[in-house]
Amino acid sequence: MTAPTGNRDGTPLLEAHDVQRRYEAGESTVHALRGVSVAIRRGEFVAIVGASGSGKSTLLHLLGAVDAPDAGRVIFEGRDISRLSDAEATRLRLLRVGLVFQRFYLMPTLSALENVMLPMAEAGLAPAARRARAEELLRYVGLGERTGHRPTQLSGGEQQRVAVARALANEPALLLADEPTGELDAATGAALIALLQRLNADGLTCVLVTHDAALAQSAQRVITMKDGRIVQDTGASPS
Amino acid sequence: MRLRFLRAPHVALLCCSLLAGPSLLGAQTPRDTVIGTPTVPLAPGRVAPSVRGIAIDERIAQDAGVRVGDTLRIAAEAGTTGEPVVVDALVRRSADPSEVARSEYRVRLHLDHLQRLTNAIDRVDRFAVAVRPEAGPSAVDSLLAGVNHVAFGFRAHASRDVAVESSRTFQVVDRFHRAIGGITIVASAVFLLCILLLKVEERRRAVAALRLAGLSRRTVALSVIAEAAVVAVLGSGVGAAIGWVATLAVNAHYQRVFRTPLTFALLTPRIALFAVSLSLVLGIVAGALAAWRLVRTPPLTLLGR
Ligand SMILES: Nc1ncnc2c1ncn2[C@@H]1O[C@H](COP(=O)(O)OP(=O)(O)OP(=O)(O)O)[C@@H](O)[C@H]1O
Ligand SMILES: [Mg+2]
Repeated sequence: MTAPTGNRDGTPLLEAHDVQRRYEAGESTVHALRGVSVAIRRGEFVAIVGASGSGKSTLLHLLGAVDAPDAGRVIFEGRDISRLSDAEATRLRLLRVGLVFQRFYLMPTLSALENVMLPMAEAGLAPAARRARAEELLRYVGLGERTGHRPTQLSGGEQQRVAVARALANEPALLLADEPTGELDAATGAALIALLQRLNADGLTCVLVTHDAALAQSAQRVITMKDGRIVQDTGASPS
Repeated sequence: MRLRFLRAPHVALLCCSLLAGPSLLGAQTPRDTVIGTPTVPLAPGRVAPSVRGIAIDERIAQDAGVRVGDTLRIAAEAGTTGEPVVVDALVRRSADPSEVARSEYRVRLHLDHLQRLTNAIDRVDRFAVAVRPEAGPSAVDSLLAGVNHVAFGFRAHASRDVAVESSRTFQVVDRFHRAIGGITIVASAVFLLCILLLKVEERRRAVAALRLAGLSRRTVALSVIAEAAVVAVLGSGVGAAIGWVATLAVNAHYQRVFRTPLTFALLTPRIALFAVSLSLVLGIVAGALAAWRLVRTPPLTLLGR
């Protein structure tokens, strides 16, 4: 299968340098991230764990150019992505980063195939190529027979696999997932973990936020967060 | 068959109708049509037959089962024997809005007959004179001028002026209808706008998902606008179709109730086109407003984070 891309040469794909993120909530200020530095190498499979409110999602959003830090820098593929305009960040998410969330956020009126084709259309891929690649991706995630089905006709696990296929639409260098098994039962969650492992084995760099012990165990590197800081990292670079 | 018509107040009001062929009746606007066998106008020097001919409304004919050639008795006073008359013609009412709500029957008699019958020799309130079609408007004008020059105690008017005069009310009603229509359109436009805005608010999650997946503001805004436009056009198309069916029902109902060919409700292609294009514009405006609000909001905020 050729869906994922990326190579495992050990150079950092993604680096965060002392990133901070505050939220002003009325009078009080919430320090969601209090200076986080981390480097993710190409081909890694990283799980970010930690108590609720420890800043996991906030970090993931900064890594995926969904949100911008108040201080610090995020370097992705050698480029500072912490001060991008909306259009630049959108383009980066379209072409280089795949995002998967706990809720699947599929378009309810579109079929699985059309959902996967959507980012390809935005990227300007020719219709025939779009269809071929979307079909290939859906086969890859095990939904080759369900391409014409709408999200409502699919189970939660199947919808999440469509969401993964959509995240891979434009051959991103990085897959970011925020509690991807959060809405799935154990068996369905296990199938999804297997899928993510297969993607990683095929060369895709994956960073997941999870409460799921099984998912965290399947990762080769686990980053533990507490109160907006990284308190443990099983695979930090020796440097 | 024999039938007696009692004298009712409206019979006296009808004393002006000069029974004649269609050409004479044609002086009135709009035209009533003589159906059945029209009688020959009573030309000067012709002696009236002993049993006089009358023309009656198609309605009486229907309601009482009278046909052309039947003999009836007609009297000016209720309870009197009256005199026999022959039904020479049936008259169908024209599509005149001022006549629509009137449910009374009409009988048309020759003027001399009516005068004798009602014993009102000098009482003619109004009568119509037809000119031949080949006589142009200038001929009518000079005739009017000539008549009015010598007239004493009455005035002659061209039927076109009378029509303008008597349709004033309908012009006011028409303007009133336009005002109601305008208010309805504005009110429903505001309503449509609100609904569309609400509908799009429901799309916060979808828009956020699209933006997170890397779809540009432009793409998302255009798709929101396109969806709003399609919904608006389909909605107004269905609305126009329902309206068209409703006009058929309304017209069928009231034409039966009032026995008139008058059109009560009208949906022209122009009106339908206006409705559809107006809602298309509204759909685009509402879609653009909603899209503008949605794409300016960061996707995480749209997701409620
Ligand atoms: N939009 C926001 N406004 C205010 N505070 C926020 C906002 N988003 C996050 N926070 C706060 O920032 C902190 C970190 O939030 P974050 O969502 O990153 O936690 P998390 O580790 O992902 O938690 P969970 O496991 O429950 O998803 C929390 O205290 C949270 O309340
Ligand atoms: Mg979270």
